Amino acid sequence: MENILELRDVTKRFGGVTAVNRCSLGLAPGKIYGLIGPNGSGKTTLFNCITGLEACEEGQIRFRGERIDGLKPHQVTRRRIGRTFQVIRIFPELTALENLLVVTWLPFDGAQRRARELLELVTLDRLQDEYAGNLSYGQQKLLEFARVLMTDPDLVLLDEPAAGVNRTLLNELLQTIRNLRAQGKTIFIVEHDMKVIMDLSEKIFVLNYGEKIAEGPPEMIRTDERVIEAYFGRS
Amino acid sequence: MKWLAWGTVLLVLAVLAIMPFFVSNYIVSFAIQIFMWIALAGSWNLISGLTGYVSFGHVAFFGTGAYTTAILVSKAEWHWLPASLMGSVTAPLLAFIIGYPCLRLKGPYFAIAMLGLNEVLRALVSYFEDFTGGGNGISLPPIAELPPVYYAMGGAALGVVVLTYRIITSRFGLRLISIREDELAAEAMGIDTARLKLYAFLLSAAFPGIVGGFFAWYSSHIEPIGTFPLLTTITMIIMCLFGGKGTVFGPALGAFLLSIFQEMVWARFLFIHQAIFGALIVAVVLLMPKGILGVLQERYRLPRTI
Repeated sequence: MENILELRDVTKRFGGVTAVNRCSLGLAPGKIYGLIGPNGSGKTTLFNCITGLEACEEGQIRFRGERIDGLKPHQVTRRRIGRTFQVIRIFPELTALENLLVVTWLPFDGAQRRARELLELVTLDRLQDEYAGNLSYGQQKLLEFARVLMTDPDLVLLDEPAAGVNRTLLNELLQTIRNLRAQGKTIFIVEHDMKVIMDLSEKIFVLNYGEKIAEGPPEMIRTDERVIEAYFGRS
Repeated sequence: MKWLAWGTVLLVLAVLAIMPFFVSNYIVSFAIQIFMWIALAGSWNLISGLTGYVSFGHVAFFGTGAYTTAILVSKAEWHWLPASLMGSVTAPLLAFIIGYPCLRLKGPYFAIAMLGLNEVLRALVSYFEDFTGGGNGISLPPIAELPPVYYAMGGAALGVVVLTYRIITSRFGLRLISIREDELAAEAMGIDTARLKLYAFLLSAAFPGIVGGFFAWYSSHIEPIGTFPLLTTITMIIMCLFGGKGTVFGPALGAFLLSIFQEMVWARFLFIHQAIFGALIVAVVLLMPKGILGVLQERYRLPRTI
Protein backbone atom coordinates (compact mmCIF):
# COMPACT_ATOMS: atom_id res chain seq x y z
CA MET A 1 0.00 0.00 0.00
CA GLU A 2 1.26 3.49 -0.82
CA ASN A 3 2.57 5.45 2.14
CA ILE A 4 0.41 8.32 3.37
CA LEU A 5 3.50 10.24 4.52
CA GLU A 6 6.92 9.97 2.95
CA LEU A 7 10.04 11.79 4.13
CA ARG A 8 13.14 11.68 1.95
CA ASP A 9 16.53 12.94 3.21
CA VAL A 10 14.94 15.70 5.30
CA THR A 11 17.54 17.97 6.87
CA LYS A 12 17.05 20.89 9.23
CA ARG A 13 19.85 23.02 10.67
CA PHE A 14 19.82 25.74 13.31
CA GLY A 15 23.02 27.68 12.72
CA GLY A 16 25.81 25.14 13.13
CA VAL A 17 23.58 22.51 14.73
CA THR A 18 22.01 19.89 12.48
CA ALA A 19 18.78 19.07 14.28
CA VAL A 20 17.52 16.61 11.67
CA ASN A 21 20.06 14.94 9.38
CA ARG A 22 19.02 13.25 6.10
CA CYS A 23 16.03 11.59 7.71
CA SER A 24 13.92 9.30 5.54
CA LEU A 25 10.85 7.39 6.64
CA GLY A 26 7.45 6.32 5.42
CA LEU A 27 4.11 5.85 7.17
CA ALA A 28 1.47 3.51 5.77
CA PRO A 29 -2.15 4.56 6.31
CA GLY A 30 -4.18 3.28 9.26
CA LYS A 31 -1.29 2.37 11.55
CA ILE A 32 0.25 3.70 14.75
CA TYR A 33 3.90 4.73 14.59
CA GLY A 34 6.24 5.80 17.35
CA LEU A 35 9.15 8.22 17.22
CA ILE A 36 11.64 7.99 20.06
CA GLY A 37 15.10 9.22 20.89
CA PRO A 38 17.03 10.90 23.69
CA ASN A 39 16.42 14.58 24.52
CA GLY A 40 17.55 16.84 21.69
CA SER A 41 17.52 14.07 19.12
CA GLY A 42 15.29 16.08 16.74
CA LYS A 43 11.88 14.48 17.28
CA THR A 44 9.90 17.70 17.75
CA THR A 45 11.91 19.43 15.00
CA LEU A 46 10.91 16.62 12.65
CA PHE A 47 7.25 17.15 13.61
CA ASN A 48 7.70 20.87 13.02
CA CYS A 49 9.13 20.20 9.55
CA ILE A 50 6.21 17.94 8.65
CA THR A 51 3.63 20.48 9.83
CA GLY A 52 5.31 23.48 8.20
CA LEU A 53 6.33 25.24 11.41
CA GLU A 54 9.96 24.82 10.39
CA ALA A 55 11.20 24.90 6.81
CA CYS A 56 13.56 22.02 6.04
CA GLU A 57 16.70 22.97 4.13
CA GLU A 58 17.03 19.75 2.16
CA GLY A 59 14.88 16.79 1.29
CA GLN A 60 11.26 16.26 0.45
CA ILE A 61 8.10 15.65 2.45
CA ARG A 62 5.15 14.14 0.62
CA PHE A 63 1.63 13.60 1.94
CA ARG A 64 -0.55 11.35 -0.23
CA GLY A 65 2.04 11.83 -2.95
CA GLU A 66 1.86 15.66 -2.88
CA ARG A 67 4.87 17.68 -1.75
CA ILE A 68 4.04 19.62 1.38
CA ASP A 69 7.46 20.93 2.36
CA GLY A 70 7.40 24.68 1.81
CA LEU A 71 3.69 24.98 2.61
CA LYS A 72 2.52 27.22 5.43
CA PRO A 73 1.30 25.47 8.59
CA HIS A 74 -2.38 26.24 7.94
CA GLN A 75 -2.05 24.84 4.41
CA VAL A 76 -0.56 21.64 5.80
CA THR A 77 -3.37 21.35 8.36
CA ARG A 78 -6.02 21.80 5.69
CA ARG A 79 -4.57 18.80 3.88
CA ARG A 80 -5.74 16.91 6.98
CA ILE A 81 -2.60 16.65 9.04
CA GLY A 82 -3.17 17.55 12.68
CA ARG A 83 -0.81 17.85 15.60
CA THR A 84 -0.50 18.48 19.31
CA PHE A 85 2.46 20.15 20.98
CA GLN A 86 5.05 19.03 23.49
CA VAL A 87 4.32 22.15 25.56
CA ILE A 88 0.55 22.69 25.64
CA ARG A 89 -0.66 25.40 23.29
CA ILE A 90 -4.36 25.88 23.95
CA PHE A 91 -6.17 29.24 23.75
CA PRO A 92 -6.48 30.09 27.47
CA GLU A 93 -9.01 32.93 27.18
CA LEU A 94 -11.40 30.88 25.06
CA THR A 95 -13.69 28.34 26.72
CA ALA A 96 -13.09 24.63 26.21
CA LEU A 97 -15.95 24.55 23.68
CA GLU A 98 -14.66 27.63 21.82
CA ASN A 99 -11.18 26.07 21.63
CA LEU A 100 -12.76 23.42 19.44
CA LEU A 101 -15.20 25.61 17.51
CA VAL A 102 -12.44 27.97 16.43
CA VAL A 103 -10.55 25.36 14.41
CA THR A 104 -13.37 23.88 12.34
CA TRP A 105 -15.03 24.91 9.09
CA LEU A 106 -18.16 22.85 9.71
CA PRO A 107 -21.48 24.75 9.71
CA PHE A 108 -22.22 26.17 13.17
CA ASP A 109 -24.79 23.59 14.35
CA GLY A 110 -22.73 20.65 13.13
CA ALA A 111 -19.62 22.15 14.68
CA GLN A 112 -21.33 22.53 18.07
CA ARG A 113 -22.52 18.94 17.98
CA ARG A 114 -19.10 17.58 16.98
CA ALA A 115 -17.30 19.72 19.58
CA ARG A 116 -19.58 18.43 22.35
CA GLU A 117 -19.02 14.83 21.23
CA LEU A 118 -15.27 15.29 21.36
CA LEU A 119 -15.38 16.98 24.76
CA GLU A 120 -17.40 14.02 26.00
CA LEU A 121 -14.83 11.67 24.50
CA VAL A 122 -12.06 13.27 26.56
CA THR A 123 -14.36 13.63 29.62
CA LEU A 124 -14.37 17.42 29.53
CA ASP A 125 -18.05 17.84 28.59
CA ARG A 126 -18.97 19.24 32.00
CA LEU A 127 -16.25 21.88 31.64
CA GLN A 128 -17.23 23.07 28.16
CA ASP A 129 -17.95 26.63 29.30
CA GLU A 130 -14.86 26.92 31.49
CA TYR A 131 -12.00 29.07 30.23
CA ALA A 132 -9.28 26.74 28.98
CA GLY A 133 -6.70 28.59 31.05
CA ASN A 134 -8.52 27.51 34.22
CA LEU A 135 -8.26 23.78 33.45
CA SER A 136 -5.61 21.56 35.05
CA TYR A 137 -2.51 20.56 33.09
CA GLY A 138 -3.88 17.10 32.32
CA GLN A 139 -7.25 18.52 31.25
CA GLN A 140 -5.52 21.02 28.97
CA LYS A 141 -3.59 18.16 27.42
CA LEU A 142 -6.87 16.34 26.75
CA LEU A 143 -8.44 19.51 25.37
CA GLU A 144 -5.53 19.91 22.96
CA PHE A 145 -6.05 16.30 21.90
CA ALA A 146 -9.76 16.93 21.30
CA ARG A 147 -8.93 20.11 19.39
CA VAL A 148 -6.70 18.30 16.93
CA LEU A 149 -9.46 15.74 16.33
CA MET A 150 -11.85 18.61 15.61
CA THR A 151 -9.82 19.35 12.46
CA ASP A 152 -10.67 15.77 11.34
CA PRO A 153 -7.11 14.84 10.34
CA ASP A 154 -6.13 11.70 8.45
CA LEU A 155 -2.65 11.86 9.94
CA VAL A 156 -2.38 12.79 13.63
CA LEU A 157 0.98 13.79 15.11
CA LEU A 158 0.97 13.58 18.90
CA ASP A 159 3.92 15.13 20.74
CA GLU A 160 4.12 13.48 24.16
CA PRO A 161 0.38 12.96 24.68
CA ALA A 162 0.85 11.01 27.93
CA ALA A 163 2.93 13.62 29.79
CA GLY A 164 1.06 14.97 32.81
CA VAL A 165 -2.07 12.87 32.28
CA ASN A 166 -3.10 10.68 35.23
CA ARG A 167 -3.27 6.88 34.83
CA THR A 168 -7.07 6.61 34.58
CA LEU A 169 -7.29 9.32 31.94
CA LEU A 170 -4.22 7.95 30.20
CA ASN A 171 -5.86 4.56 29.69
CA GLU A 172 -8.87 6.29 28.13
CA LEU A 173 -6.58 8.39 25.98
CA LEU A 174 -4.71 5.33 24.73
CA GLN A 175 -8.00 3.58 23.96
CA THR A 176 -9.11 6.67 22.00
CA ILE A 177 -5.89 6.55 20.00
CA ARG A 178 -6.54 2.88 19.19
CA ASN A 179 -10.11 3.79 18.17
CA LEU A 180 -8.75 6.42 15.80
CA ARG A 181 -6.55 3.80 14.20
CA ALA A 182 -9.61 1.57 13.84
CA GLN A 183 -11.29 4.43 11.97
CA GLY A 184 -8.43 4.37 9.46
CA LYS A 185 -6.44 7.29 10.77
CA THR A 186 -2.67 7.21 10.87
CA ILE A 187 -1.05 8.13 14.19
CA PHE A 188 2.54 9.25 14.70
CA ILE A 189 3.55 9.63 18.32
CA VAL A 190 6.55 11.11 20.09
CA GLU A 191 6.59 9.82 23.66
CA HIS A 192 9.13 9.41 26.45
CA ASP A 193 7.01 6.88 28.33
CA MET A 194 8.49 3.66 26.87
CA LYS A 195 5.64 1.48 28.10
CA VAL A 196 3.11 3.65 26.29
CA ILE A 197 5.07 3.77 23.04
CA MET A 198 5.89 0.05 23.05
CA ASP A 199 2.28 -0.93 23.78
CA LEU A 200 0.76 1.36 21.17
CA SER A 201 3.10 1.41 18.21
CA GLU A 202 3.20 -1.05 15.38
CA LYS A 203 6.48 0.37 14.19
CA ILE A 204 8.98 2.65 15.87
CA PHE A 205 11.56 5.04 14.43
CA VAL A 206 14.55 6.02 16.58
CA LEU A 207 16.42 9.30 16.20
CA ASN A 208 19.78 10.18 17.70
CA TYR A 209 21.53 13.49 17.04
CA GLY A 210 19.05 14.09 14.24
CA GLU A 211 19.80 10.86 12.42
CA LYS A 212 17.49 7.89 12.13
CA ILE A 213 19.43 5.03 13.71
CA ALA A 214 16.78 2.32 13.75
CA GLU A 215 13.26 1.44 12.69
CA GLY A 216 11.15 -1.63 13.25
CA PRO A 217 8.51 -3.25 15.43
CA PRO A 218 8.72 -2.61 19.21
CA GLU A 219 10.17 -6.02 20.08
CA MET A 220 13.05 -5.40 17.66
CA ILE A 221 13.70 -1.85 18.83
CA ARG A 222 13.76 -3.02 22.47
CA THR A 223 16.81 -5.17 21.80
CA ASP A 224 18.55 -3.06 19.16
CA GLU A 225 22.17 -2.38 20.16
CA ARG A 226 22.28 1.09 18.59
CA VAL A 227 19.12 2.12 20.45
CA ILE A 228 20.39 0.84 23.78
CA GLU A 229 23.66 2.65 23.21
CA ALA A 230 21.88 5.91 22.29
CA TYR A 231 19.82 5.81 25.48
CA PHE A 232 22.33 4.38 27.97
CA GLY A 233 25.71 4.99 26.35
CA ARG A 234 28.41 2.46 25.58
CA SER A 235 29.24 0.18 28.54
CA MET B 1 -32.42 40.07 31.99
CA LYS B 2 -31.66 40.19 28.28
CA TRP B 3 -34.78 42.31 27.66
CA LEU B 4 -33.74 44.67 30.42
CA ALA B 5 -30.33 45.12 28.81
CA TRP B 6 -31.78 45.72 25.35
CA GLY B 7 -34.43 48.06 26.83
CA THR B 8 -31.69 50.10 28.50
CA VAL B 9 -29.73 50.31 25.24
CA LEU B 10 -32.81 51.47 23.31
CA LEU B 11 -33.64 54.04 25.98
CA VAL B 12 -30.08 55.44 25.88
CA LEU B 13 -30.23 55.62 22.08
CA ALA B 14 -33.61 57.40 22.19
CA VAL B 15 -32.29 59.96 24.69
CA LEU B 16 -29.18 60.54 22.57
CA ALA B 17 -31.33 60.93 19.44
CA ILE B 18 -33.37 63.82 20.87
CA MET B 19 -30.59 65.32 23.00
CA PRO B 20 -29.39 68.01 20.52
CA PHE B 21 -32.80 69.72 20.67
CA PHE B 22 -32.71 70.19 24.44
CA VAL B 23 -29.11 70.92 25.43
CA SER B 24 -26.57 73.68 24.79
CA ASN B 25 -24.09 73.68 21.89
CA TYR B 26 -21.31 73.03 24.41
CA ILE B 27 -22.91 69.73 25.43
CA VAL B 28 -23.54 68.78 21.78
CA SER B 29 -19.89 69.54 20.94
CA PHE B 30 -18.74 67.51 23.90
CA ALA B 31 -20.97 64.60 22.82
CA ILE B 32 -19.48 64.80 19.31
CA GLN B 33 -16.02 64.39 20.85
CA ILE B 34 -17.14 61.45 22.97
CA PHE B 35 -18.66 59.76 19.90
CA MET B 36 -15.42 60.36 18.02
CA TRP B 37 -13.38 58.73 20.78
CA ILE B 38 -15.81 55.79 21.02
CA ALA B 39 -15.37 55.16 17.28
CA LEU B 40 -11.58 55.54 17.46
CA ALA B 41 -11.05 53.42 20.59
CA GLY B 42 -13.48 50.80 19.25
CA SER B 43 -11.62 50.66 15.94
CA TRP B 44 -8.28 50.22 17.68
CA ASN B 45 -9.88 47.41 19.68
CA LEU B 46 -10.70 45.52 16.47
CA ILE B 47 -7.06 44.96 15.60
CA SER B 48 -5.19 45.38 18.87
CA GLY B 49 -7.77 44.22 21.41
CA LEU B 50 -8.77 41.15 19.46
CA THR B 51 -5.56 40.01 17.74
CA GLY B 52 -3.05 41.49 20.21
CA TYR B 53 -1.20 43.41 17.47
CA VAL B 54 -0.65 46.80 19.09
CA SER B 55 -0.98 49.62 16.58
CA PHE B 56 0.76 52.87 17.51
CA GLY B 57 -0.16 54.49 14.22
CA HIS B 58 -3.94 54.39 14.09
CA VAL B 59 -4.12 58.16 13.91
CA ALA B 60 -2.66 57.78 10.40
CA PHE B 61 -6.04 56.41 9.25
CA PHE B 62 -7.84 59.22 11.05
CA GLY B 63 -5.59 61.75 9.29
CA THR B 64 -6.05 60.01 5.94
CA GLY B 65 -9.82 60.35 6.30
CA ALA B 66 -9.50 63.99 7.37
CA TYR B 67 -7.37 64.89 4.36
CA THR B 68 -9.53 62.87 1.98
CA THR B 69 -12.58 64.84 3.08
CA ALA B 70 -10.84 68.20 3.16
CA ILE B 71 -9.45 67.72 -0.37
CA LEU B 72 -12.72 66.42 -1.81
CA VAL B 73 -14.72 69.24 -0.23
CA SER B 74 -12.31 72.10 -0.97
CA LYS B 75 -11.03 71.04 -4.40
CA ALA B 76 -13.80 68.87 -5.87
CA GLU B 77 -16.70 70.58 -4.06
CA TRP B 78 -18.15 67.35 -2.68
CA HIS B 79 -20.74 67.41 0.10
CA TRP B 80 -19.04 66.69 3.43
CA LEU B 81 -20.99 63.51 4.13
CA PRO B 82 -20.05 61.44 1.04
CA ALA B 83 -16.57 62.98 1.20
CA SER B 84 -16.22 61.67 4.77
CA LEU B 85 -17.52 58.25 3.79
CA MET B 86 -14.74 58.11 1.19
CA GLY B 87 -12.42 57.87 4.21
CA SER B 88 -13.70 54.30 4.59
CA VAL B 89 -12.07 53.60 1.22
CA THR B 90 -8.82 55.56 1.44
CA ALA B 91 -7.91 54.58 5.03
CA PRO B 92 -8.37 50.80 4.44
CA LEU B 93 -6.41 51.20 1.20
CA LEU B 94 -3.54 52.64 3.19
CA ALA B 95 -4.06 49.88 5.77
CA PHE B 96 -3.76 47.27 3.03
CA ILE B 97 -0.54 48.79 1.68
CA ILE B 98 1.08 48.99 5.12
CA GLY B 99 -0.62 45.98 6.72
CA TYR B 100 0.28 43.41 4.09
CA PRO B 101 4.02 43.57 4.85
CA CYS B 102 3.89 44.84 8.44
CA LEU B 103 1.43 42.34 9.90
CA ARG B 104 4.10 39.69 9.35
CA LEU B 105 6.13 41.47 12.03
CA LYS B 106 5.65 40.22 15.56
CA GLY B 107 5.41 42.01 18.89
CA PRO B 108 7.02 45.45 19.21
CA TYR B 109 8.22 45.52 15.58
CA PHE B 110 4.67 45.95 14.29
CA ALA B 111 4.02 48.72 16.82
CA ILE B 112 7.19 50.55 15.76
CA ALA B 113 6.42 50.14 12.05
CA MET B 114 2.99 51.69 12.65
CA LEU B 115 4.55 54.56 14.55
CA GLY B 116 6.79 55.15 11.55
CA LEU B 117 3.78 55.19 9.20
CA ASN B 118 2.29 58.07 11.13
CA GLU B 119 5.48 60.13 10.88
CA VAL B 120 5.87 59.36 7.16
CA LEU B 121 2.31 60.47 6.44
CA ARG B 122 2.75 63.69 8.39
CA ALA B 123 5.93 64.46 6.42
CA LEU B 124 4.26 63.63 3.09
CA VAL B 125 1.27 65.81 3.83
CA SER B 126 3.59 68.69 4.73
CA TYR B 127 5.67 68.15 1.58
CA PHE B 128 2.95 68.04 -1.09
CA GLU B 129 1.95 71.64 -0.50
CA ASP B 130 -0.05 72.18 -3.69
CA PHE B 131 -2.35 69.31 -2.90
CA THR B 132 -2.60 69.37 0.89
CA GLY B 133 -1.82 72.96 1.75
CA GLY B 134 1.47 71.88 3.39
CA GLY B 135 2.05 73.21 6.89
CA ASN B 136 -0.76 75.74 6.51
CA GLY B 137 -3.28 72.95 6.03
CA ILE B 138 -6.70 73.21 4.40
CA SER B 139 -9.54 75.43 5.51
CA LEU B 140 -13.15 74.42 5.02
CA PRO B 141 -16.33 76.50 5.35
CA PRO B 142 -17.40 76.86 9.00
CA ILE B 143 -20.28 74.58 9.90
CA ALA B 144 -23.66 76.23 10.22
CA GLU B 145 -25.15 73.80 12.73
CA LEU B 146 -23.91 71.00 14.98
CA PRO B 147 -26.69 68.36 14.87
CA PRO B 148 -25.75 66.88 11.43
CA VAL B 149 -22.20 66.25 12.64
CA TYR B 150 -23.58 64.99 15.97
CA TYR B 151 -25.74 62.37 14.23
CA ALA B 152 -22.99 61.44 11.77
CA MET B 153 -20.42 60.96 14.54
CA GLY B 154 -22.99 59.15 16.72
CA GLY B 155 -23.76 56.84 13.80
CA ALA B 156 -20.06 56.05 13.41
CA ALA B 157 -19.73 55.29 17.14
CA LEU B 158 -22.81 53.05 17.03
CA GLY B 159 -21.48 51.39 13.86
CA VAL B 160 -18.20 50.46 15.54
CA VAL B 161 -19.97 48.98 18.59
CA VAL B 162 -22.38 46.96 16.42
CA LEU B 163 -19.52 45.76 14.20
CA THR B 164 -17.51 44.72 17.26
CA TYR B 165 -20.52 42.82 18.64
CA ARG B 166 -20.99 41.03 15.31
CA ILE B 167 -17.31 40.11 15.13
CA ILE B 168 -16.96 38.93 18.73
CA THR B 169 -20.03 36.70 18.43
CA SER B 170 -18.76 35.12 15.21
CA ARG B 171 -16.16 32.44 14.50
CA PHE B 172 -14.14 35.12 12.72
CA GLY B 173 -13.93 36.89 16.09
CA LEU B 174 -12.94 33.69 17.90
CA ARG B 175 -10.19 33.17 15.34
CA LEU B 176 -8.92 36.70 15.88
CA ILE B 177 -8.81 36.02 19.63
CA SER B 178 -6.98 32.74 18.99
CA ILE B 179 -4.29 34.76 17.19
CA ARG B 180 -3.93 36.91 20.29
CA GLU B 181 -3.78 33.85 22.53
CA ASP B 182 -1.27 31.79 20.54
CA GLU B 183 -0.67 32.68 16.92
CA LEU B 184 1.55 29.69 16.21
CA ALA B 185 -1.04 27.25 17.56
CA ALA B 186 -3.76 29.01 15.58
CA GLU B 187 -1.71 28.66 12.40
CA ALA B 188 -1.01 25.00 13.20
CA MET B 189 -4.76 24.40 13.62
CA GLY B 190 -5.46 25.52 10.05
CA ILE B 191 -6.23 29.19 10.67
CA ASP B 192 -4.84 31.50 7.98
CA THR B 193 -3.62 34.04 10.50
CA ALA B 194 -2.01 36.40 7.96
CA ARG B 195 -5.27 36.80 6.05
CA LEU B 196 -7.44 37.23 9.15
CA LYS B 197 -5.11 39.82 10.66
CA LEU B 198 -5.28 41.77 7.42
CA TYR B 199 -9.10 41.65 7.40
CA ALA B 200 -9.21 42.88 10.99
CA PHE B 201 -6.72 45.62 10.17
CA LEU B 202 -8.77 46.83 7.18
CA LEU B 203 -11.94 46.91 9.28
CA SER B 204 -10.14 48.73 12.06
CA ALA B 205 -8.94 51.39 9.59
CA ALA B 206 -12.35 52.09 8.02
CA PHE B 207 -14.04 53.91 10.90
CA PRO B 208 -11.08 56.17 11.78
CA GLY B 209 -11.13 57.14 8.09
CA ILE B 210 -14.79 58.15 8.29
CA VAL B 211 -14.46 59.83 11.68
CA GLY B 212 -11.41 61.75 10.46
CA GLY B 213 -13.59 63.15 7.69
CA PHE B 214 -16.31 64.21 10.15
CA PHE B 215 -13.63 65.78 12.31
CA ALA B 216 -12.21 67.78 9.38
CA TRP B 217 -15.66 69.15 8.57
CA TYR B 218 -16.46 69.81 12.23
CA SER B 219 -13.22 71.67 12.96
CA SER B 220 -13.25 73.60 9.61
CA HIS B 221 -9.48 73.51 9.38
CA ILE B 222 -6.87 70.78 9.36
CA GLU B 223 -3.08 70.89 9.30
CA PRO B 224 -0.43 68.12 9.62
CA ILE B 225 0.60 68.55 13.25
CA GLY B 226 -2.95 68.73 14.61
CA THR B 227 -4.22 65.90 12.39
CA PHE B 228 -1.52 63.31 13.01
CA PRO B 229 -0.60 63.70 16.70
CA LEU B 230 0.73 60.58 18.41
CA LEU B 231 -1.35 61.62 21.42
CA THR B 232 -4.52 60.72 19.51
CA THR B 233 -3.35 57.12 19.12
CA ILE B 234 -2.23 56.97 22.75
CA THR B 235 -5.60 58.32 23.88
CA MET B 236 -7.49 55.63 21.93
CA ILE B 237 -5.24 52.96 23.41
CA ILE B 238 -5.76 54.21 26.95
CA MET B 239 -9.52 54.47 26.50
CA CYS B 240 -9.67 50.93 25.15
CA LEU B 241 -7.44 49.53 27.91
CA PHE B 242 -9.34 51.44 30.61
CA GLY B 243 -12.74 50.14 29.48
CA GLY B 244 -11.54 46.64 28.61
CA LYS B 245 -9.76 45.55 25.45
CA GLY B 246 -11.26 42.70 23.50
CA THR B 247 -14.76 43.45 24.83
CA VAL B 248 -17.73 44.97 22.96
CA PHE B 249 -18.57 47.91 25.20
CA GLY B 250 -15.20 48.38 26.94
CA PRO B 251 -13.77 50.93 24.48
CA ALA B 252 -17.04 52.91 24.55
CA LEU B 253 -17.07 52.89 28.35
CA GLY B 254 -13.41 53.93 28.47
CA ALA B 255 -13.99 56.70 25.93
CA PHE B 256 -17.00 58.01 27.85
CA LEU B 257 -15.37 57.99 31.30
CA LEU B 258 -11.98 59.31 30.22
CA SER B 259 -13.49 62.06 28.05
CA ILE B 260 -15.38 63.32 31.09
CA PHE B 261 -12.26 62.92 33.25
CA GLN B 262 -10.14 64.80 30.71
CA GLU B 263 -12.66 67.62 30.45
CA MET B 264 -12.79 68.02 34.22
CA VAL B 265 -9.02 67.86 34.67
CA TRP B 266 -8.30 70.14 31.73
CA ALA B 267 -10.59 72.81 33.11
CA ARG B 268 -9.21 72.65 36.66
CA PHE B 269 -5.51 71.92 36.12
CA LEU B 270 -4.62 73.74 32.93
CA PHE B 271 -0.85 73.31 33.20
CA ILE B 272 -0.55 69.78 34.55
CA HIS B 273 -3.53 68.02 33.01
CA GLN B 274 -1.29 65.98 30.70
CA ALA B 275 0.83 64.85 33.66
CA ILE B 276 -2.33 63.70 35.43
CA PHE B 277 -3.44 61.85 32.31
CA GLY B 278 -0.01 60.23 32.09
CA ALA B 279 -0.23 59.11 35.71
CA LEU B 280 -3.60 57.58 34.94
CA ILE B 281 -2.06 55.61 32.06
CA VAL B 282 0.58 54.16 34.39
CA ALA B 283 -2.08 53.33 37.01
CA VAL B 284 -4.32 51.55 34.47
CA VAL B 285 -1.47 49.46 33.07
CA LEU B 286 -0.20 48.49 36.52
CA LEU B 287 -3.42 47.99 38.46
CA MET B 288 -6.03 47.04 35.88
CA PRO B 289 -4.44 45.67 32.71
CA LYS B 290 -7.71 44.03 31.66
CA GLY B 291 -9.74 47.22 32.13
CA ILE B 292 -13.07 47.72 33.89
CA LEU B 293 -15.12 45.26 31.85
CA GLY B 294 -12.23 42.78 31.68
CA VAL B 295 -12.10 42.69 35.48
CA LEU B 296 -15.89 42.39 35.79
CA GLN B 297 -15.92 39.68 33.14
CA GLU B 298 -13.35 37.66 35.05
CA ARG B 299 -14.78 38.21 38.52
CA TYR B 300 -18.46 37.66 37.72
CA ARG B 301 -18.02 35.33 34.73
CA LEU B 302 -19.85 37.73 32.45
CA PRO B 303 -20.16 36.78 28.77
CA ARG B 304 -17.67 37.94 26.16
CA THR B 305 -20.39 40.13 24.66
CA ILE B 306 -20.30 42.82 27.36
